[in-house]
Amino acid sequence: MFGYITVNRPELKVKESAAYDAYYCGLCHALHGRHGRAGQLTLTYDMTFLVILLNGVYEHPLHEKTGRCLVHPMKQHTERWNDFSSYCADMNVLLAYYNLLDDWQDERKISRYAAAQLLSKQYEAIKAKYPRQHKAVADYMKALARCEKKHSDNVEEAACLTGKMLAEVFVCREDAWSSDLRQMGFFLGKFIYLMDAYEDVEKDEKSGNYNPLIKMKDDENFDSECQSMLMMQMAECCKAFERLPIIQDVGILRNILYSGVWAKFASVYNKRNKAGENE
Amino acid sequence: MTDPYQVLGVSRDASNDEIKKAYRKLSRKYHPDANINNPNKEAAEAKFKEVQAAYNQIINERERGTSGQSSAGYGGYGGSAGGQDFWGSFGGFGGYGSGYGGYGSQQQNQQNQYQDEDSLKFRAAANYINAGSYTEALHVLDSIANRNAQWYYLSALANARMGSNINAKEHARKAVEMDPNNMQYRQLLSQLESGGQWYQDMGQSYGMPTINVSDWCCKILCLNAACGCLCPGAGCCGPGVFYYH
Repeated sequence: MFGYITVNRPELKVKESAAYDAYYCGLCHALHGRHGRAGQLTLTYDMTFLVILLNGVYEHPLHEKTGRCLVHPMKQHTERWNDFSSYCADMNVLLAYYNLLDDWQDERKISRYAAAQLLSKQYEAIKAKYPRQHKAVADYMKALARCEKKHSDNVEEAACLTGKMLAEVFVCREDAWSSDLRQMGFFLGKFIYLMDAYEDVEKDEKSGNYNPLIKMKDDENFDSECQSMLMMQMAECCKAFERLPIIQDVGILRNILYSGVWAKFASVYNKRNKAGENE
Repeated sequence: MTDPYQVLGVSRDASNDEIKKAYRKLSRKYHPDANINNPNKEAAEAKFKEVQAAYNQIINERERGTSGQSSAGYGGYGGSAGGQDFWGSFGGFGGYGSGYGGYGSQQQNQQNQYQDEDSLKFRAAANYINAGSYTEALHVLDSIANRNAQWYYLSALANARMGSNINAKEHARKAVEMDPNNMQYRQLLSQLESGGQWYQDMGQSYGMPTINVSDWCCKILCLNAACGCLCPGAGCCGPGVFYYH
């Protein structure tokens, strides 16, 4: 995934900030423990969000440990994890594996292929353990390739495909909360796809990659149109979020959903507009 | 029927967060995992389910209350025919079915212009939407050449329920533009646009970054004036619009 689903750090309380880091390190720890160094390299903020979200819904017992790690050997830090860290670590590897294969097919980067090979054994195990999620991701990659090939000019098409895929990843089991979690995953997936398209629109135009936003790129209101589309997705995502009975870490989750997700949009927008002024 | 507020032990004017806290406290107590060695674990599990149902009932009631929808029903996720997706917030449009009865008389003069075949197709599309088969509804709509306000309305409805809210908003806007006096069309548009305002209000207390997109405000005002739609939520801009200084 793309790391868009992250916190707005200055707006977090000190305690929340420390807790967020502990979940992040906990996920890193779970990735290492379950999938080795190659797995650890796939760590994302997006999945850290899912750990905190699922833990907020189900409140399973958390484990905590303070120590040092290979990535930051100089600094003591706290790791916080539970079974949702394991679930999200598996989902992270599943998504990363397909991402690497996709990059290999698109750009023929041998390093991507090699990295995917390193994860292939892990991938087989995850595929067997989570058939529903695996099918969602595998079907998504195929459907997205078809959509890209026919150069669909409907913005919704690829975005909804991404949404349907992430919806399944957000549901770790079917129960009273799965419909709201699905709705959250669906609209967050759409947000991620559109945000990525917005960020890459110039790059994709040059390289000839499919990007449904290219056709409206030179519109006077391009940025505001994009922002409005992105905001609609977040509004629907948050409606589902607010229905869930989440108390634990709700401040962190709201910080991400109402604020953190906009950090990338703001930085892309500012960069683009500064570049325009200098011309 | 038991009062869900009584089940959770909260008053009717409790905030959503208070209700969530009450739910948490009770669900920890009665959760099956916490009652493995409890001789009355069946009773605990029954209580757990009751607490969960009460929570869901309150949240759903409150959501319908604030959006002013009929009780036609949120919560139909996955329950629709044909295994189509049903993205929560548009469940309230169950009211469309009853509205459809009025469609003939409401638009008598327009309907005379339709060819018979088209009017059958409109009816079929509406039936598909009511049955939750949105892809089929869109297929039928695709085959209609006469793209009038009713067409855009039905398309907006099907798209909204599939989660294609960008298409939905665009088509709802077109429906209102073509037939500004139709309250049903306007209601759909304002519902589709209302989420943005609510989200931004929440965002403000969490430090949502602001970006200076200039003259956007004017643009939206013109657009609203052109399609003659009201601006619920008032203010300078229409609903669902972010504006900065």
